[in-house]
Amino acid sequence: MNAFLSMVPRFADAMLVTLEVSLLAAFLGMIGGFALNALRMRFSKALAIPYRTYVWLVRGMPYLSQLVIVYFGLPVLGLTMTAAQATIVSLSIYAAAYFAEIFRAGWASIPHGQIEAARAFGIGRRAAFRAIELPQALAFAVPLLANQVILVIKESAVASIITVPELTMTASDIVASTYTYIGPYAMLIVCYWLLTQAVALIAARASALIPFLQKTS
Amino acid sequence: MSALPILQLKAVGKSYGATRVLKGIDLDVMRGEIVTLIGPSGSGKTTALRCMNFLEAYDEGEVWIKGQLLGYRLNGRAERIRDSDESIAEVRRPVAMVFQQFNLWPHMTVLANVAAPLVLSKKIGKGEARRKALAALQRVGLEHKADAYPARLSGGQQQRVGIARALAIEPEVMLLDEPTSALDPELVEEVLSVIRSLAQDGMTMVMVTHEMSFAAKISDKVVFMEAGKIVEAGPPAQLFGNTRTPRLQQFLKPWFDRSLSPTPTSTPNADNAATTGLNPPEAALIVTVTGRGA
Repeated sequence: MNAFLSMVPRFADAMLVTLEVSLLAAFLGMIGGFALNALRMRFSKALAIPYRTYVWLVRGMPYLSQLVIVYFGLPVLGLTMTAAQATIVSLSIYAAAYFAEIFRAGWASIPHGQIEAARAFGIGRRAAFRAIELPQALAFAVPLLANQVILVIKESAVASIITVPELTMTASDIVASTYTYIGPYAMLIVCYWLLTQAVALIAARASALIPFLQKTS
Repeated sequence: MSALPILQLKAVGKSYGATRVLKGIDLDVMRGEIVTLIGPSGSGKTTALRCMNFLEAYDEGEVWIKGQLLGYRLNGRAERIRDSDESIAEVRRPVAMVFQQFNLWPHMTVLANVAAPLVLSKKIGKGEARRKALAALQRVGLEHKADAYPARLSGGQQQRVGIARALAIEPEVMLLDEPTSALDPELVEEVLSVIRSLAQDGMTMVMVTHEMSFAAKISDKVVFMEAGKIVEAGPPAQLFGNTRTPRLQQFLKPWFDRSLSPTPTSTPNADNAATTGLNPPEAALIVTVTGRGA
């Protein structure tokens, strides 16, 4: 029991690192994904192929390989980063592809008749985007965004390979120095579970606050 | 009284790839007139209606709204170029539309739906927009639903909100695309009665409909379309009572049969048919074909 309790401070520190790295990457990825999708819609002719290529590459490659390219590949070009910075950069690029597809789905969920109605009533492109499309696309996207944030949190475990002192690396360290498995890995599971449940809870609360999604008035 | 049509189609054509769905439509709509478009599915009546506010970009002919060409302008060498979205919106401003599927914005309350076109396109104040929206909702009898979301309303109520949204912009022409086709039979009447009351107020309307009896009663002019062309156009008495177009007779036959079958005793007697020179079913129908608002 004492051994177990003695792990808590290390895991608490590691949890903060995981939280910082993954939430920053999720935030940047979400903004990047939103921008990618918005640009794709606005310049559909010019950007259709670059967009598909980006999504195709990022989704087709393991995240580990993308992290390796950023952390070990970019220094060759003179761009050196700390392990944590490389994780945030690569995880943002990785997540942006998924987030962009989520926003694309959000917009695809809006029946075309609504856009036609906006046009027929003289509502300009920008006003329609802001007042008619955006609220509905975002409301549709909330559960999918939460899902993706959870995946980013868990994917950040890969950063343990390049020695970012996050949860997974901390657990491995304790295993290596104490030769106990059950305690550190149980702790690891609990920590990830707490983080992901917090995200799920926030998303559920957010959905509950959107008035037009409610089944009862 | 100006004799210029408020809405005019001149040889309007439209193709999707190699398929020519509209083959030269000519139509004049005068102020205060009610024009209904009828015809079988795929005859191009909805496409024709959608060309009237450029939701569908026609590619032959011309559509004029209050003397302004819709959708295109001519450059120095008399070539036609697509107008900017802003110019198109400006020309179509007097035209409002009611959709078959209502096309309300589900994330907005009923009041916000009706006020949105005013706030988002006409740049008028929120208070003024709210006042106009409430007046329009009152007009369709739904002011008590102002704060509800569309999903909480019946189909008939949703369509009445759609009509209120169209009324709120104070249009000079209303386009109605099968306004009752998506409704349960028992909800149709509440929508038709709102349209009827607009007709009594002198609203100019162009309506695509499958409600033949309603079209017969309400229209000043009925247009029968088939395969992208206007086959016959004229007053309802002519099309519903006296047509010599075989295709229109065939199109109307199921409706005649349905109209007559429940009340066989109302079939006019032979004398009546003999004096008018009509077949009995047509003679029966001409009785129902009376003036507006009947």
